[in-house]
Amino acid sequence: MSSATTTEASHGAHAEAHGHHPPFLQHHFDTPAHQFDAAKMGMWIFICTEILMFGGLFVAYGLFRGREPEIFHLAHERLDKIMGAANTIVLLFSSLTAALAVRQSQVGDRKGTTRWLIITLLCACVFLVVKYFEYTHKFHDGLLPGTHFRAHLPAYAHHGHTLPYRAHMFFALYFMMTGLHGVHVLVGMGILTWVLKRNLRGEISKEYFTPVEIGALYWHLVDLVWIYLFPLLYLVG
Amino acid sequence: MSTATNEHHADHSNDDGAVHAHVSSPLFMIGIFATLIVLTIVTVAVSYVDLGSANSFVALLVATLKAGLVSTFFMHLRWDRPFHALVFIFSFVFLAIFIGFTNDDLSTRGEIDPNNGVHVLERSGAVAPGGIQVPAAPPATPGHETHEEHH
Repeated sequence: MSSATTTEASHGAHAEAHGHHPPFLQHHFDTPAHQFDAAKMGMWIFICTEILMFGGLFVAYGLFRGREPEIFHLAHERLDKIMGAANTIVLLFSSLTAALAVRQSQVGDRKGTTRWLIITLLCACVFLVVKYFEYTHKFHDGLLPGTHFRAHLPAYAHHGHTLPYRAHMFFALYFMMTGLHGVHVLVGMGILTWVLKRNLRGEISKEYFTPVEIGALYWHLVDLVWIYLFPLLYLVG
Repeated sequence: MSTATNEHHADHSNDDGAVHAHVSSPLFMIGIFATLIVLTIVTVAVSYVDLGSANSFVALLVATLKAGLVSTFFMHLRWDRPFHALVFIFSFVFLAIFIGFTNDDLSTRGEIDPNNGVHVLERSGAVAPGGIQVPAAPPATPGHETHEEHH
């Protein structure tokens, strides 16, 4: 996969290379490999900070659930397990298609990259549509958190049962965690659209597929977060 | 030099400056995806069986297996520089520190307010700053003020 047709005259020679750099190589990098490694390391450190940002919500979840296990169990029954599972499968599939987009870009198949990127974006749309139906249903049931919570009132009883008022904490966490994740889905769609645009412009090649690789890493992160959100919110034991 | 076709040696032995990343076969990736789906089905199935506290343990174990598969193969950590895997693993170490210390702090003070689920001040019994007032259920329950006096 690596016939570097344009470049480098000899091992480790960089001083003279400025005039002969391929167009994608920024001048402060010695070689394409150098640039690729720098991009990836930056992305992994960013992924670490993302995990820690979601970490705050996971900590809040763990503490409240530890104190109110029965409330969490009662409240989680108001979520739709089947919709959650369907969305899990959609996101896992989109991770596969994102990985396939990277793979096709690595072998220089521009059309294949375009195809898999579009399918990944469509999966993201499906995910958001399902989420939209879930959210509107929660709004309708008075399950908004804080002072907007109504599910403790008889008028909002579900199969004859009301929730205790303090179940609003579960929904506060539900909306914050899935909401922040949803924002990441939107940002990921933006990034993948940008990658798709560059690919269509012919800026992606098997010598330079860094944008596809980094964009896909972000998309896999979105998937990773959901992998934990799904059992924690929808499958409370 | 430039036309040397040293294919598929995704390691440091290549020194021509070009990017040498591992290329997975599509079939292998579909295999990983199928495993992820099977694990999802397992975790949903287990949620219908009452295993007591083991339910959460199984759910988190399966989630971690899935996260491991995605990061190792779809995110290429298997073939990447070990430093990237180290960064990834350490984010979870820091998360564990975060959870551990916060839990230690919160489990050694205060009480839970029966309505709000937030802490009340230990000495006076008053609601700690930042709590939420229970919205007055139009005709149903009495207001929150009287409740607070009752403490």
